[in-house]
Amino acid sequence: MGTVKLGENMEIKVEVIKKACSMAMKAHKYPEKQYLFDKIKSSSPEVVFSFAGSLSVHDWFAGGSFGDMEVDRRLFPSLKYVGLDEIGRVNEAFFKRFKAVLANPKFELEVKKAVDDRRKVVFTGHSSGGAIAILATVWFLEVNSRLPNFIEPLCLTFGSPLVGDRIINIALRREKWSRCFVNFVMRLDIVPRISLSPLSSIGHQLQRVLDYFNQNPQQPPADAPDFYETVVKNASSVANYAACKIMGSTNPLLETASSFIELSPYRPLGTYVFCTGTGKLVEISNADAVLQVLFYSSQLSTEEEKVPVAQTSLRDHLNYENYLKECLRTPIVTSLFHLHQEAPPVTSTANVDMDLNDLGLSERASLCLRAAEALERQKLRNQNTIDGKQIDIEKCLGNLEKYKSSCAHKAGYYDAFKSSDQKEDFHANVNRLELAGIWDEIIEMLKRHELPDEFEGQKKWIRLGTRYRRIVEPLDIANYYRHLKNEDTGHYMGKGRPRRYKCTQKWREHAEKLRDEFPGSCFWAEVEELWIRSGSQGTRESILQLKTKVEKWIGEEEVGDDVLLENSTFMKLQRQHGLAS
Amino acid sequence: MDTETSSFETSEMLGTFLASTPLLSESWRLCNLANANSPQSFLVEQVGSIGYVAFSGIQSVSGSDPSFRNLVPLPDVDINGFFYPLHRQSEEEEPVMVQGALLRGFENIYNNTSFQIQMHALIQTSKSIIFTGHSVGGTTASIAALWLLSHLQSNFVNVSVLCITFGSPLLGNESLSRAILRERWGGKFCHVVSKYDIMPRMLFAPMDPIAPHIKPLLQFWHWYMKSPHFGMLAVPLSDEILAQIFQFILVHLRGLVEAGEEAVAGTFRPFGNYIFCSEDGAVCVDNAASVVKMMFLLFTMGSPSCSVEDHLKYGDYVGKISSQFLEKRSFLQGELPESSYEAGVVLALQSLGISCKEPVAGPAMDCLKAARRMGRTPNLNCANLAIKLSKINPYRAEIEWYKAFCDRSDDQMGYYDSFKQRGASKRDSKVNLNRHKLARFWDNVINLFESNQLPHDFHRQKKWVNASQFYKLLVEPLDIAEYYRTGMHRSKGHYIDHGRERRYRIFDRWWNETSGSEKGNKRSKFASLTQDTCFWAKVEEARDLLDALRSTSDPSQLALYWHEIDCFARCAKTLVENKDVSIDVVAKNSSYSLWLRDYNELKSQMELFRPQFLSFVNEEMVP
Repeated sequence: MGTVKLGENMEIKVEVIKKACSMAMKAHKYPEKQYLFDKIKSSSPEVVFSFAGSLSVHDWFAGGSFGDMEVDRRLFPSLKYVGLDEIGRVNEAFFKRFKAVLANPKFELEVKKAVDDRRKVVFTGHSSGGAIAILATVWFLEVNSRLPNFIEPLCLTFGSPLVGDRIINIALRREKWSRCFVNFVMRLDIVPRISLSPLSSIGHQLQRVLDYFNQNPQQPPADAPDFYETVVKNASSVANYAACKIMGSTNPLLETASSFIELSPYRPLGTYVFCTGTGKLVEISNADAVLQVLFYSSQLSTEEEKVPVAQTSLRDHLNYENYLKECLRTPIVTSLFHLHQEAPPVTSTANVDMDLNDLGLSERASLCLRAAEALERQKLRNQNTIDGKQIDIEKCLGNLEKYKSSCAHKAGYYDAFKSSDQKEDFHANVNRLELAGIWDEIIEMLKRHELPDEFEGQKKWIRLGTRYRRIVEPLDIANYYRHLKNEDTGHYMGKGRPRRYKCTQKWREHAEKLRDEFPGSCFWAEVEELWIRSGSQGTRESILQLKTKVEKWIGEEEVGDDVLLENSTFMKLQRQHGLAS
Repeated sequence: MDTETSSFETSEMLGTFLASTPLLSESWRLCNLANANSPQSFLVEQVGSIGYVAFSGIQSVSGSDPSFRNLVPLPDVDINGFFYPLHRQSEEEEPVMVQGALLRGFENIYNNTSFQIQMHALIQTSKSIIFTGHSVGGTTASIAALWLLSHLQSNFVNVSVLCITFGSPLLGNESLSRAILRERWGGKFCHVVSKYDIMPRMLFAPMDPIAPHIKPLLQFWHWYMKSPHFGMLAVPLSDEILAQIFQFILVHLRGLVEAGEEAVAGTFRPFGNYIFCSEDGAVCVDNAASVVKMMFLLFTMGSPSCSVEDHLKYGDYVGKISSQFLEKRSFLQGELPESSYEAGVVLALQSLGISCKEPVAGPAMDCLKAARRMGRTPNLNCANLAIKLSKINPYRAEIEWYKAFCDRSDDQMGYYDSFKQRGASKRDSKVNLNRHKLARFWDNVINLFESNQLPHDFHRQKKWVNASQFYKLLVEPLDIAEYYRTGMHRSKGHYIDHGRERRYRIFDRWWNETSGSEKGNKRSKFASLTQDTCFWAKVEEARDLLDALRSTSDPSQLALYWHEIDCFARCAKTLVENKDVSIDVVAKNSSYSLWLRDYNELKSQMELFRPQFLSFVNEEMVP
């Protein structure tokens, strides 16, 4: 059997998709089992785990407008925006159901066995079962991705609702896990769009719709058109708001108005494969673009379409198995984006236009898709600009490292810089300011999401950030206490510490799986505070503690051994308390 | 980071977004209720977590009221200080002016205790409040929103405010519009204006010539607002008169548009966002000049009768645009332009119901493009300045270094006197060069700001306020030194009154406006920079006084001099005691230390020879 090519280097065997789809549907029939598990053939390397969905409103929305919660950091330590320490949000009801699966010891054992047998693990689910599959896959990646000989899992969902917010999507891309997630969506299927509506607007109708999915009678419920209209309206608010953002609107009215309404936090993640209804599959992996397609492809050409389209939007949710069987016979997958071509597909080839047609997208929709794509290109360009500054950064760091070693015959560069009475100190200050300018710019860009999602996972930047933090932060601390900023702003570690150091510290902690600790680069701030508190109770003990920590830090190169120079403030502090000769 | 390839027209998308929310249709529903049930008044309703306050479009103001168009200076009439944040203005500006009659209308409503009670309750229960109103009611809603925003600002209460008006007349002048931008309130006003509605355009023209006709027009509108179910009656004006009014307003609007981007003094000016709506969609514009132009262009497409009827059709428009999300709106007028941006502009015109072939299409496109450009240029300039700032920081650092060097130097003069008496050393001339470079940078900043090429709240942004303050603290003493070094005080007079660069006065104002009366903690060491940047100029003046003192014998003159000198001596002492000065002030050979020695010497001589005179001085000194 053939394979389905998705994007540049992703191929999935047709038989895997078929098997996954049929197992995803089958899982609904055994709700008591939580999950099913099977091989495709006895000889094939894949093992499929499929999860049952639930058709009770409580298992979709846990309360509140959208039923979202902050992710459990212990289970999902990677699902955050690292440098700025923003935690992702997931649907609480789906998360609870996943935890129930995880609580079943058999599940973990069977997954572990598959890993030990060096099999490729495929998680799958239809409808809300797809949401469980997504969470299971993230869990699997968190546990296994750093093991030697790790085999990437695969997550195939069919008509799954949305599970997480945009931070989750960023995190998956940063970890390079995003490509493991492939979501099949029938063009009109209402379910992925339901996540964009606040529960209050659809509450009473939702249970009837879920009942319809459950009993599957001939006729969809009578209020299907109303339901459809509400869901599309909410989707339009979310999509239009996002479109204003990706098109770069800076009008403050946008933020004011959005604070008056409830906008869904959920965003698509991974790759989406839309089934057009005309026998084609269209692949999109840009999350902004997927969101726009989810809205625009549900618009109607004429008012008369409303009732039949609304009914199809429900029926299609149950139609994946048949439909995919049909179009996977000769699978043609087209991709809406050709990101690595330089010429933007503005007029686009006839092919892409056809695909837009198959998805029912208007001119306005294609403008939004262009905007999503342009933004992604812009982010790549921004990354190039920033990469270009590496040379400047390294030059300045080199200068400061020289400065540091030139001060080693005195009391060390911290104390030299703090008293700043030589020409070299002045030059060091200029280098410090230049570096602060560059790094602050990077942090600003991260805040405004102007860099590619992968940026925070790049080893070269994590390394450079760590080097920068270690060598330059002591100078910032020296400057802080030299100008007595602690008398206005308080302890450096309180409000005085610049974001550029917090951020680069977080990068390293995340990359090396370290705990959030007091960083060695802030050692001098601790010394200064102890100096100020000299003589008060407990200072002696604190100095002793700091002494042991310093040894560890010097070992890790977090702190240079120049802190132990005879005349450094640190040694003076110790002598003052009779802790050194 | 911005390039043309990644540019898109967002005015239509923003309009579409607003239309997709329930905000417009809910507001309109309540406006209708207020029109029907609460003439001259308002109603309050809570919908979900949002509190709505709708003002009736039927207010006592009428066209025959001579004050209908009268602009009055807000600081003069706002005796209760309801709108205090809007009183502040820069030197050259016209004062903030608003329509006096409507302001009084709002005060009447406010003085009605039921308004205050209901508002108070609403602030307790709602995190967000929307003020809304149709016609004159919308302008009242704007005033109410300005009142609440001012109130919240001084009481530090966190409530979101939004004002949505429908076909409302203008409220105030250019200064009002700028003051609102300065307070960052522009995004809180959303004026819905239909294509042809005459009401929001009316005040662009002088009212006197058409006043007699406006009264029946307002009455006609009022009547319909009260009882729309009777259907549209005939307009009580002849076609001829209507055509006259229409032409009159059109001519004045054209005049304003031709006057260009600058507002004409004494005229009305839009503020906030305008949502222009047609049967085919909505487009949001927030640049005042573009709003005026768009009002004009759309009006030219209308006719006298539809300009009157359109004022009553907001229900239809709002209904249409809020149900548009469901339909796929195709573009049927041929090919869309290649570029994404141009395509977006053409689609925006489609939403305004302008076909590409119509004569206004070209100017309307230009208008949207100009609005976008004017909306973005300030932000781009600001970003560029930030980069330039980080580039000139090393110059500043070099001056800091110079100061530290002088403060440590053996001659113990401090950087002020070292610079004043500098020789021809390389270091000194480098510092002087840096001083010029920094001055050029900051003069350019002020220039850009005053010609509106920076964001309106630029002088409230912490980064810039702090950077300019730091610059002032470090460099102004050098400017003073240069002034007295070159003897400018002899030809022009003393520095503070005659030589101080304008930039420093502006930075003073920026600093005072944002930091307020912040009292710092007690310093344990001398400040790194003297907090009173004119300190050295005061020392110079005090030194002149000492000289004058020595050379006069006129007792009344003497008393005056002593009074001034003692005053300075006291201030300086406090500054030094609080450690609000930098170490260079108290350096052994600084001008201040030298002056203090002279002063004390003279003082002790006085005590020896003129005891009775001194007691007289003391009386003066310690009231």
